[in-house]
Amino acid sequence: MLRIDEGSLRHWLIRVLGVVVVAFIVVWVPTQMSSSRIGQFTDAFILMIAAMSLNLVLGFTGQISIGHSAFFGIGGYTAAILIKDHGWSPGYTFYAAAVVAFVVGCVVALPALRIRGIYLALVTLAVAVLFPTLVRWKKLAWLTDGSKGIDSVRYEDVPVWPILGELKGREGRAVFMFWLGLIVVVVTYLVCRGIVKSRFGRALVAIRDNETAAAVMGVNLTTTKVLVFGVSAALCSLGGVLSTLKSGVITPDGQYVTLLGSIVFLLVMIVGGAGTLWGPIVGGLVYVWLDSTTRDIGTNDSGILGALFGWADQSPATLILGLVLVVIMFAAPYGLVGLAKRLGRKIVVIVPRPVGSSTSR
Amino acid sequence: MANLGGAAGTIESVNNTDSGNVPLLEVSDVTVRFGGIIALDGLSFSIDQGAICGLIGPNGAGKTTMFNVVSRIYDPNEGTVSFQGRDLLAVPAHGIAHLGIARTFQNLALFPTMTLLENVMVGAHSQGSVGMWRAIARIGAARENRRIRDWSGDLLNQLGLGHLAHVPAAGLPFGTLKRLEIARALAARPRFLLMDEPAAGLTHSEVDELGDVVLRIRGDFDLTVLLVEHHMSMVMRISDKVVAMEFGRKISEGTPDQVRNDPKVIAAYLGAEA
Repeated sequence: MLRIDEGSLRHWLIRVLGVVVVAFIVVWVPTQMSSSRIGQFTDAFILMIAAMSLNLVLGFTGQISIGHSAFFGIGGYTAAILIKDHGWSPGYTFYAAAVVAFVVGCVVALPALRIRGIYLALVTLAVAVLFPTLVRWKKLAWLTDGSKGIDSVRYEDVPVWPILGELKGREGRAVFMFWLGLIVVVVTYLVCRGIVKSRFGRALVAIRDNETAAAVMGVNLTTTKVLVFGVSAALCSLGGVLSTLKSGVITPDGQYVTLLGSIVFLLVMIVGGAGTLWGPIVGGLVYVWLDSTTRDIGTNDSGILGALFGWADQSPATLILGLVLVVIMFAAPYGLVGLAKRLGRKIVVIVPRPVGSSTSR
Repeated sequence: MANLGGAAGTIESVNNTDSGNVPLLEVSDVTVRFGGIIALDGLSFSIDQGAICGLIGPNGAGKTTMFNVVSRIYDPNEGTVSFQGRDLLAVPAHGIAHLGIARTFQNLALFPTMTLLENVMVGAHSQGSVGMWRAIARIGAARENRRIRDWSGDLLNQLGLGHLAHVPAAGLPFGTLKRLEIARALAARPRFLLMDEPAAGLTHSEVDELGDVVLRIRGDFDLTVLLVEHHMSMVMRISDKVVAMEFGRKISEGTPDQVRNDPKVIAAYLGAEA
């Protein structure tokens, strides 16, 4: 076991190494991979954003929300309506969606001030169920186009970013969406990190651990819960905007807009590691990878899996995905990041600086 | 109008000059009912600046209820509570820390997933100002973190917990966590510290040590302390003043010796003499 002092040269080298590895992957994917692979990474980005936003509310603050699919949908619809009806340039719809979702999120937070646990879960569940119904509502058809949804809202021509060079056609669009998605992921991550590593973030965890004690320490439960719900909704809506720009379509039963979306966000967050900054990022990658690998299983009838699942009318993809996720949860109850931390501690231990003002920099 | 303003000003200034004589905490005629049960029945007492006041009484006397009234968890049905001449009942629960009131809990109310350092840093919540927007924009957040981290680390060191700073609170021995609660309460730089049965569950030697800790921090941090405690020997040793309660009423008040020899107190603890 290697012991490294916090802030020492070796500690910095490890950090730099981490950054280099991540940067290498980030550059390698859009330059070396096929456009369908690149698209899968963008899908993972979308899930990462939604799961990171859910993580703020659920992982760090302990407030259960199954309503995040609605915030996701609000983002997608805000973008689609602004682009289609008002001729907005797609880039600006991120800001508008964030503002709209922030306000809605603050309102949805109001029940969380009085109820908690399973009761809060039920209220947010209602929000998730209500949203697609509301969008389909006849009287709102002038805005949302009912069940048909809104289509062709993607970028007509990919904007030219000098640093990316010239991007043309389908491949060019995939590459562009990758970089756009990456930017939103980084922004979301930085927002979450800023929050978590601050006095406000400590207040969130304090609320999760013991609400009464948090209030006695001076934490205003009302404003803290309302604000964190609002900002979480705003971040989640960015995922919705990205998803709509990528597919060019949004419908009331589109991907992640229904209740199922909330469940997937929950799954991604928990598989990666709830209450950790990197959990949703790892979770998003693993989920999309598993989803795309299992999807092909059983489609050709050769091999062991074909023999096992050949009898089924439908592809057993969902079943296998579910089983694999259950196994992951069993092996890593604190998520993959939790598992990695535990194993990593057996190899390298970062020894923290002694506390107190005398030892501080 | 100018006249009225002037008058108000004089009253204000009179109050200010008097504040040296105003007790730090003044509880008068506080009554708390839970349904048909009267937990506190017209209780009055006051605590002077810098004193350690022990609140004693048999189980069910209403000590913890009193405590929860002062820390704004319960609203009394009648009566007033003032802190430094200010109406405490008008302050929300999360506001008392900002006034300089901190408390510890009888059955521990720590943040189990956080490290000891983080627990104490939450205790310093009222000493910071970075809210969500400044945290996102990173305006002054790093500097505030450093300041609170150093201050919290100093407190851990003073209470002999520095070596455990980065260990999660969950699963540590009870005595250690009791001291952590004291450190966390002190992090708010309180003027007034409420301690709810700090000695409960401690061994004899730990109780003696705790008494010394309370005396030491009173001096070091210029504190006034309200101590709710069953452990009679500790209360009598460290208190300047003792208030004895039974069935929600005050039955005796005075120096430890006066209260110890009060027949009503003896009767409450040992049963009435025939």
